[in-house]
Amino acid sequence: MGDILKIEGLNFRYPESPRNAVSDFELSIPEGEIAVLAGPSGCGKSTLLRTVNGLIPHMYGGEYSGDVIVAGSSVKGSSMRDLAQTVGFLFQNPENQIFMFTVERDVAFGLENLGVPREEMRSRVDEALRLLRIGDLAQRAPHELSDGQKQRVALAGVLAMRPKLVILDEPTSLLDPKTASELVTLVARLREELGTTFVVVEHRLDLLVGVADRLVVMDGGRKVLEGSPRDVLFGDDAEAHGVAIPAVTRVQKALTESKGGRAVAGGLLTPSELASAVEGRRR
Amino acid sequence: MMWLSGGFIFRKGYSFYHRLDPRAKLLNSALMFVTTLLARSIFEMVLVVAFMVGLSAAATVLKRVARTMAFTALFSGFIFVVNVLFTRDLETSVLYATRFVAIVVSTSIFFITTSPDELEQVMKMFRLPRDVVFAFVTAVRFIPVMMLDTIQIMDAQKSRGLELEKGNLVRRVRNMIPILIPLVVNSVVRSGELAEAMEARAYGAAPKPTSLLEYRARRVDIGVACASVVLFALAAYSFYFVIPVQFP
Repeated sequence: MGDILKIEGLNFRYPESPRNAVSDFELSIPEGEIAVLAGPSGCGKSTLLRTVNGLIPHMYGGEYSGDVIVAGSSVKGSSMRDLAQTVGFLFQNPENQIFMFTVERDVAFGLENLGVPREEMRSRVDEALRLLRIGDLAQRAPHELSDGQKQRVALAGVLAMRPKLVILDEPTSLLDPKTASELVTLVARLREELGTTFVVVEHRLDLLVGVADRLVVMDGGRKVLEGSPRDVLFGDDAEAHGVAIPAVTRVQKALTESKGGRAVAGGLLTPSELASAVEGRRR
Repeated sequence: MMWLSGGFIFRKGYSFYHRLDPRAKLLNSALMFVTTLLARSIFEMVLVVAFMVGLSAAATVLKRVARTMAFTALFSGFIFVVNVLFTRDLETSVLYATRFVAIVVSTSIFFITTSPDELEQVMKMFRLPRDVVFAFVTAVRFIPVMMLDTIQIMDAQKSRGLELEKGNLVRRVRNMIPILIPLVVNSVVRSGELAEAMEARAYGAAPKPTSLLEYRARRVDIGVACASVVLFALAAYSFYFVIPVQFP
């Protein structure tokens, strides 16, 4: 499969800012991947995401050079109307992206804006509600929902537009641990069922390493590390760039250092991997 | 104040009146409004108010309409006093005072039983620009959010030693500043995020946006609309030709 997202030599500087928010950025993401973008706060993650769905340069001015290509067309040359149908964007705070008084109306919001005929809209709204398993909330008002439910409603509104690429900006930051891990399971399921590509900004890597194909680490507006989560997290540099190393990986690293590398084999990322490694040694 | 303002805020209801087409409800409220203007004696006004009270009871919103009445009674008392002072005519003054209550009740019945979704539909029917309708929609949508914000800010400032309930009037008003500033800042940030989310969901993309909901008048809606017109005509006719009026 081809690359759904290609960033080529991207530089962006906000107006009146002394330095670039994103510098010399190169990235290719093949269709159907789950890619995680990590890095310290203020490292340019949010800016980078906004260059992908076109808010930069269409809504925000600034110095822009290089190119971002989504599904074969340049973001600079595409209208927000076209981009909205290719790139879905789930913002950090679900509250501020729910506009309507009932869940189903809100899921339909993007489709209404595009002028989709009613019958088709109805079936796409129902499909999105079913995918996120929130059909029972269809008639609820936004203020009657929990944070996790709001997050699902907002994601349903994004998916109803059938984007090829979905961006999730710190989707678990307002969720409790259980709801957060449910969201990650959901993302993995949607990738399987729809073949959607996901780019996720996330600090809590513990949750995502099990499902992610690629981990990109940013620092100071630049890409500093890229690879499979295993390669990046077992490298020596990840910690230096402020990446939260998953607990399992830390345990393994500590064991390896204390016992001269004979403790447990392979790069371990998730509790289940650790469990089976330990079981294997016991036998 | 919160208790009184409840008379204008929609809450979900399942009575036959709640489920009517918003256009039928709007027509009915408009005609009740005009009828209150046509009533020329206290007796007629009592009839009109009695009808509205009966309708509220049927729509299971009598309690909330009573709140509206209690709320408007304050202003209507003022109208009464001013009228007595200037016209020195007790009957006319009572008429004007009750008319004010009746006018507010007639509109309040519409707002209590019509969901924001339906209000939006009515605004679209009047061909208001999409931006205006959307501004209204988001304003109503964020009322509960802003209320929650306000409570949180008040708690935060109180825990830092702000005493809201102390001092004279000037001091109390000044005490509101530490509440208002974070609230305004929050709202500005929120509106920026809303604008981004609107762009991301193609707001303004199509010249003619479509709507998920469809309002098609059913028989009962047309029936209620016709009944309102007939009742209105009856009331207007009897006010002018049947019930004798002795104006001083």
